[in-house]
Amino acid sequence: MVIDLSPFYGSTTPFDRLLESLWTPLSISQRGISYPPLNISEDDDHIYVRCEIPGMNIDDLDLTLTDSSLVIKGERKSVKGKYYRQERPTGSFQRMVNIRTPIDRDNVTARMKDGVLEVTIPKSEDNKPKKISIEAS
Amino acid sequence: MSETAVKRDERKLPRVKPATDVIEKEDGYYIYMDMPGVAKEDLVIDLNEDDIRVSGKAEYEAPAGRKIGHVEFGNGEYFRSFTVSHQVDKDRIKASLVNGVLELHLPKAEKSQPRKITIQQG
Repeated sequence: MVIDLSPFYGSTTPFDRLLESLWTPLSISQRGISYPPLNISEDDDHIYVRCEIPGMNIDDLDLTLTDSSLVIKGERKSVKGKYYRQERPTGSFQRMVNIRTPIDRDNVTARMKDGVLEVTIPKSEDNKPKKISIEAS
Repeated sequence: MSETAVKRDERKLPRVKPATDVIEKEDGYYIYMDMPGVAKEDLVIDLNEDDIRVSGKAEYEAPAGRKIGHVEFGNGEYFRSFTVSHQVDKDRIKASLVNGVLELHLPKAEKSQPRKITIQQG
């Protein structure tokens, strides 16, 4: 299952903004449809992707980073036994996050804590706005 | 006074029923619960007679200056309770929390394990 989160970066057109306003309630109800659920936030220097994947070691996860996307892949294995109730999802999953900004691929870090994966992607230096001083002649 | 303040504080977090598996194996029952974001310190397991209550809080810090792009999960309080059968040896219940999954092992009591009945000849 691949989910494309297209207008993540730079939603400037009115149409994009309209889409975004429609998204806010929708994104909550998306819980349960797309697995694993993830949150994306950013500040001036980094993009943070947080993902709820309980019961996985970070070594069992397959994180692939290209210039424009981050792919999180893995498989949740089930326990053998006689099931009385099964609500936890099992099987392989995959999610893709599109990144529409230049990133510093060599300094991406990922860590897992209490079943929550956090990937920190630094934005590339080239992309930062620079102040140009104008000298009055 | 303070009790109501605590209650109001708890009500802020939405309650979530954690996804749970209940499995029977040879050495007893196992309950697995997905509780991502819950640290060991924030997890409370109460056993009261036949009731097990599990609750845990998941809170994510939101540093100032971060813009939120896309949200699918958030802070929450996990809560779920179970009634334990009489077959379970309540003194030997074990719990462990690894990578956001709580494992409860409920071993069967000795007397409920199947045994052969010897027939005495009269």
